Amino acid sequence: MVSRQKGESMKGEEAKSNLPRVLVIDDEVAIQRFLKTALDTGDYSVHLADTAHAGLAAAVAVRPDVILLDLGLPDLDGIEVIRRVREWSQVPIIVISVREREAEKVQALDSGADDYLTKPFGIGELLARIKVALRRSLQQAPEPVFQSGELRVDLPHRRVSVRGEEVQLTPTEYELLRMLVTHAGKVLTHSQILRQIWGVAYLEQPHVLRVNISNLRRKIESDASRPRYILTEAGVGYRLRSE
Amino acid sequence: MSVNEGKSTLIGGSFRERLTGIRDLGAVGYCAAIAMVAAATLICNQARPYLSPVNMVMGYLLVVVLAALFLGRRPAMLSALLGVLAFDFFFVPPRFSFSVEEKEYLMTFFALFTVGLVISSLVAKARERLDALRVSERQTTSLYHLSRDLAAATDNAALVKAAVDNIQQSLGGEVAVLLAREGELELAAGSDGFAPEPDRLKVARWALHSRRMAGAGTDAHAGDPLTYVPLKALLETHGVLVLRLDEDDILHPEELHRLLNAYAAQIAMALERLRLLQQAQETRLLKERENLERALLNSISHDLRTPLTAITGALSAVLEEGDKLNSGSRAELLETAREEAARLNRFVGNLLDMTRLEAGVLQLKKEPCDVQDLIGTALATVEPRLAGVAVSVRLAPELPLVSLDFVLMLQVLVNLLDNALKHAAAGGELEIAADVAGERLVLGVADRGAGVPEADLPRIFEKFYRTPVPEVVGGTGLGLSICRGIVEAHGGAIRAENREGKGLRIVVEVPLGVAAEGRVDEG
Repeated sequence: MVSRQKGESMKGEEAKSNLPRVLVIDDEVAIQRFLKTALDTGDYSVHLADTAHAGLAAAVAVRPDVILLDLGLPDLDGIEVIRRVREWSQVPIIVISVREREAEKVQALDSGADDYLTKPFGIGELLARIKVALRRSLQQAPEPVFQSGELRVDLPHRRVSVRGEEVQLTPTEYELLRMLVTHAGKVLTHSQILRQIWGVAYLEQPHVLRVNISNLRRKIESDASRPRYILTEAGVGYRLRSE
Repeated sequence: MSVNEGKSTLIGGSFRERLTGIRDLGAVGYCAAIAMVAAATLICNQARPYLSPVNMVMGYLLVVVLAALFLGRRPAMLSALLGVLAFDFFFVPPRFSFSVEEKEYLMTFFALFTVGLVISSLVAKARERLDALRVSERQTTSLYHLSRDLAAATDNAALVKAAVDNIQQSLGGEVAVLLAREGELELAAGSDGFAPEPDRLKVARWALHSRRMAGAGTDAHAGDPLTYVPLKALLETHGVLVLRLDEDDILHPEELHRLLNAYAAQIAMALERLRLLQQAQETRLLKERENLERALLNSISHDLRTPLTAITGALSAVLEEGDKLNSGSRAELLETAREEAARLNRFVGNLLDMTRLEAGVLQLKKEPCDVQDLIGTALATVEPRLAGVAVSVRLAPELPLVSLDFVLMLQVLVNLLDNALKHAAAGGELEIAADVAGERLVLGVADRGAGVPEADLPRIFEKFYRTPVPEVVGGTGLGLSICRGIVEAHGGAIRAENREGKGLRIVVEVPLGVAAEGRVDEG
């Protein structure tokens, strides 16, 4: 059920222990095969599980650095798997879902998943998500100065600039941008943002978030109609492009 | 008039009277006849110095003619008899006695009486024929009105109501129509709440199954107070016409039967016409459905197989002939496979959307949406396919937040953009505009493609409609009909118009909703 990928050289044995461990929990053979092949290029050590229970066992045995979890497993609801893992581990979980299931994605994210991938996805997208998740998993502190394209956010000095020009933000806009920056590359759900920036009382007032995102975009994006930094994840939340 | 002249005519009013407009005079007629003879006698008495008795006979003949014209056959006969007697008594010597001196007068009496009888009979016959004509004219009119109203009816309920109203107006009494449904008779309409008691249904059923009239005024179940007429059509008996008629009418069975059968035949034919119409409509719907299903199958088979063929071909070429290919060709083949897979994915998404729309399980999750965000996200989604196409976005200043299902409206915009991209040749331009008109958000997506023939504009939102353009453009014929489904679910409308010069613009209008509490410019 849980299989460690073979084919690594003895010499790589030592290196392998230092490789980030990715646990894939998915019952589809085709997807397993694709993920195994695509990830097993020497950067990761890949572990496969084809049921939720096997996956939960592997999470204990393998101690993965990141989990890729398909929400449609035969034996247990994917959300339940997230809850059970979160009872004892903060390992990043990336869920795999389809477009039509926005509510499911939000539920997974609010239950503790870190990010999601919409089927079908390309390898570039997958690697980017894993990279962002690993950064958090490996406890890498965020850079004090965030730079993406022409956007520069200097967290210690609370300074935001675009193309070298400083941008004046309201305190709320800055808090919002700071939250996005500290989670750069990771999706944040509407309720996660509302809860942290405005507090629980605002969970039912999504328009404050829309208005502030709109204003923030107008200040930092060169064309607010085609944003390059703050990306909308339809029906889920927002994501700050990380590079 | 004929048989029932002796009856009192003051109560009720039979259908015959209603039809001819003439009431039976009865006793009044006889009294009038007596009075007319008396008047003639008085006048003759005044004229006695100037007239010989024989000429007075003319006066009495005149009375007989008038009585025949206005009072009918029997009062005229009475006036002939009374005329002879009065002439004899008052004017033939010896006066004031019925005895006759000159036997010649017996001849006069006989002639007066005979002529009186013949005249009264002729005149009355002429009048009766006229009456009969009037009756048949009225019947024809009443049948004409009935058939006109029946023809205008578009469903069974309207039809039986028209029948009941018409017959009630023509015949009076009480009228109801029972329709046969799955072997049982059900009341379909009744005049002024008239409904035959349940125990009467037995006779009604008998009339239905034997296809013969029954009840009062007929040979079958004659003791029943109601009259039952089966609604016989060519193929089947549709029901029973039930009437509570005046006793008078029942006394003219032939006329009544003719009329009732005519009514019943009209109603039955109208019912049959409606039924056939419904069947024709059902057949048409079934056929349309079949066509649609065939189109769906064709579309699925075509739109699934085309990308699959391209993917299979490209991958097998790389796998099997990889050594012979230069790296450029290999990359191109793989890129083709990836693009086709993306197209396949969009098609499956469209199919799912369509299925959800048609199954009616689409639930709107409305929330305040930033229209600019919506447009930006849609552009980001189609980004890989935007190569070489310039996009301009024009937003009305101070656009409010609009209450929408973001994910579904995003799908609408993406489909519209995909559609526009298909028609905008590389290097073309797409224009997106958002305005507020009254309480509605107006979104427009315009291209500079070939447009759509004016006559086809309303049809482009129909399922499986494809513009008559080269196959290169492809498309599933589902995208725009999904747009319409989603927009209409939002209480909005979608339309297409050809632009001045060249190109097509699709305009979506949706209500702003209550989300407008926060202007984007605030805070």
